[in-house]
Amino acid sequence: MEVWFNYGAQILIYAILAVSLNLLLGYAGQVSVAHAAFGAVGGYSMGYLVQLRHWNFIPAMLVGILIAFIVGMIVALPALKLSVEYLILLTLAVSSVILGILVASKSLGGTYGLISINNIDLFGYHLGHKRDWLVPTSIGLAIIFAICWRIGESPYGRVLKGIREDGLVAQALGKNVFAYKVSVFAITSAMAGFAGALYSGLLGLATPGVYGFNFSLTVFAVVIFGGMANLWGSVYGAVIIVLLDPFLQRVLKMKAERAFVVQLIVYGIALTILMKVRPQGLFPEGSRPIRRLRGRAPGVVRVEMGEDWVPDTKVSIKEGDHEPTHSEQGVREDRWQHAPVVLQARGISKSFGGIVAAENLDIDLRKGTITALVGPNGAGKTTVFNLLTGFIRPDSGSVVLNGQELVGRTPDAVARLGLVRTFQDVRLIQRVSCLSNVMLAVQEQPGEHLVPLFTPGSIAARGEEETREKAMGWLRFVGMADFADLPAGALSYGQSKLLSLARVLATEADVLLLDEPASGIDTKWVDTMLDLIEAVREQGRTVCIVEHNLHVVGRLADHTYFMELGRITAQGTIDELTSSERLAEAYFGT
Amino acid sequence: MFARFDAETVAQLTANGLFAGSAYGLLGVGFALILGVTGRFHFAYSFTYTFAAYMAYTLTFRGLELPFWPAALLGILVATALGVFIERFIYRSLVRRAGATALLAVFVAALGIGIAGQNIIALLWSQQSQPYFGPGKKAWALWKVRFENFAVWQVVSAVVLVAILVALLRFTGLGRAIKATRVNPELATIIGINANLIYLVCFGIGTFLAGVAAFWQGLRFAIEPAMGQRPVIFAFVVAFLAGTARSPVRVFLTGVIVGVVEQLASIWLSVRWTETTVFVILVGYLVSLSVRGRRLSELLPFLRPAAGDPPAAPTTPAVGS
Repeated sequence: MEVWFNYGAQILIYAILAVSLNLLLGYAGQVSVAHAAFGAVGGYSMGYLVQLRHWNFIPAMLVGILIAFIVGMIVALPALKLSVEYLILLTLAVSSVILGILVASKSLGGTYGLISINNIDLFGYHLGHKRDWLVPTSIGLAIIFAICWRIGESPYGRVLKGIREDGLVAQALGKNVFAYKVSVFAITSAMAGFAGALYSGLLGLATPGVYGFNFSLTVFAVVIFGGMANLWGSVYGAVIIVLLDPFLQRVLKMKAERAFVVQLIVYGIALTILMKVRPQGLFPEGSRPIRRLRGRAPGVVRVEMGEDWVPDTKVSIKEGDHEPTHSEQGVREDRWQHAPVVLQARGISKSFGGIVAAENLDIDLRKGTITALVGPNGAGKTTVFNLLTGFIRPDSGSVVLNGQELVGRTPDAVARLGLVRTFQDVRLIQRVSCLSNVMLAVQEQPGEHLVPLFTPGSIAARGEEETREKAMGWLRFVGMADFADLPAGALSYGQSKLLSLARVLATEADVLLLDEPASGIDTKWVDTMLDLIEAVREQGRTVCIVEHNLHVVGRLADHTYFMELGRITAQGTIDELTSSERLAEAYFGT
Repeated sequence: MFARFDAETVAQLTANGLFAGSAYGLLGVGFALILGVTGRFHFAYSFTYTFAAYMAYTLTFRGLELPFWPAALLGILVATALGVFIERFIYRSLVRRAGATALLAVFVAALGIGIAGQNIIALLWSQQSQPYFGPGKKAWALWKVRFENFAVWQVVSAVVLVAILVALLRFTGLGRAIKATRVNPELATIIGINANLIYLVCFGIGTFLAGVAAFWQGLRFAIEPAMGQRPVIFAFVVAFLAGTARSPVRVFLTGVIVGVVEQLASIWLSVRWTETTVFVILVGYLVSLSVRGRRLSELLPFLRPAAGDPPAAPTTPAVGS
């Protein structure tokens, strides 16, 4: 019987490791192959303190968790700017370093490790048998699962998924991607340390072999099998992987040594096949295996997607052509001149090597007005957006928003101060619903921070309700409320432009930079889009658009800047600009 | 600890470092070619490595009893075929399916193949290491440095192979096609290069180079199922340190330096720390990469101004993007 208790406790410990790794890998998209090494940190710390320093199990374990947390945080610091292959390599190297240090430390038993860690007491009970470990490991899994679930299925988790799918967008919407990555890495490392302390306690040893590369790969395999971003899947995955051993030994009557080898062959082949036939894992993201067994099918979303679809917005749509007359343009220009300046850029310059992308730009954006940035392809219009929002740091110059200097701030800080931009290529988070896309943009959600998330009471829940209301409001505003539950990836190009507008509006930022808001939209509802942008102006927000379509510019813009080769060469009303022969030639190349 | 710091020791360690380093370099060149051109994080490189040594061994000593050197070449070629097979029948379809997450999908599948492969070898042969003897093994000494002739052949063959690869890349149409594919596969396809075929060629060359390294490794020490793990991780280190899109010469020399540093580290540090030293250097390098102004605009090409590509400033170009 004892052997089955051992398998049981192993399942629970593997599940702890897999659930925590899943938060990191599945939700946050950070590929780490060092998880077992963090387990080793926890296991060795506990083993050393209990066996050689005669500490109690609990404080020894807490020290192990703390060390794993700190090491995890340090490792995560350089990980921010590394792409996936570098992150894999970094974690591979870190895990080699950790194991190398453990092997080389004489006080930790060198290559033999710590053996016979067997004087473990927990609240006066001696944990001498394998079955004694079932209770602490069960409680451990329950705690870790609850924490990971709380984090993963909350606004915090929504941000993590946003970072996984498109870190740049998350940053553009004001999320401190760096802080999220570091904290989730450190938290999951601490969890691995906890699992390691339990594992070394169960086995009675902490050796380099136990926490070797095979262990890391096995935990990795559990997460992949179970399905990324599905915590239940990781638990089931752990059951399957651990029980493979008794299956081979008892049912197929293999010797222990052979069973070990065959197990690894089975994992390996299964991983490869899984990637081919079911890359999302046995339990894909969003599926709840238990509920499905009860026969509740996921709700089917029915929306009209036909060619006749038009946005169902409450903003009044003006019929027909509303090209403003020359005098109307003059009135608007006048309004622009008298509106207070919200954003003032002075002397912005940037060059890449020898290529000047922006030279001495002066741009004013004024409250409650629409400013347009036009110019031929390659003039550097999108670069201006990148320079203003902090995605590219100018070589010189200053950008002041409501009295605050923006140059030198990160894009997320700029967004939080009230300057957000859309992307020319839209960049929606494809795999999550339209509503979630908009909810991601809502600022100051209590559930995006760990303290309110784990504070008793309903701060986070109420915050989430408010966020949902706000996001639905903006979806309704752009006429996309029916699409709330549909994944953003299912939208047509024009619809995704509307959604992206709803997303920047939801940030409630003062200043919006819209990159080609009307391009690629079905001509039947270009007017709707323009009306929406005008309605945004009516709300007193400040808008800047980059646009090629001069009709769109003529209809919307109160003031227009003309850019050529990184410089602003003219400004005024669009009519003034287009009546200049030289500019027309620069623009149309005629 | 500094007692061992005499000229004789330094010379011996440097020689050992050169021998080991030439193998790291060769492996690094192969891995960089695969990752740099195809973008596949080919973790199963360790499996094809080990497989080459086992095939060379088996063709001579088990069953077939072919003459030694032809058997070695044949064994390496069989492993090369395996590498090409993995690309053709596993990675290619995975990438087509996975789209944006292709890198992770390939990594996971490669990990699976690597684990399964190593253990299949353990199951079919033995989990224990096997001695693998070659004809004409001699111990040589130069001044007070002792080494065996195979170590010298290892270095010579590595240098020759890298030279051939450099010539291939520089002077042949195939080489130019490989370089074009490395820079931009889509564009290469448009001008009539069959990118899929180039990928297969790169897998072939990379696997062959690894096979040669594995053969010498087996011959100088022994063969065992896990023999691929450590050298291949070193190959990753070398390839990344040098930059996967760099010339094979640079990658190879990086490998040699890594080997020498690893050996010389044992002068100051206990032998137990030497391997760790290399990884500490790697971690330091990666940290420096991330803090030394590698801006987002360098990692994400779309942020670059449309006016033209900025001169490629990053010391290590992002790969596989």
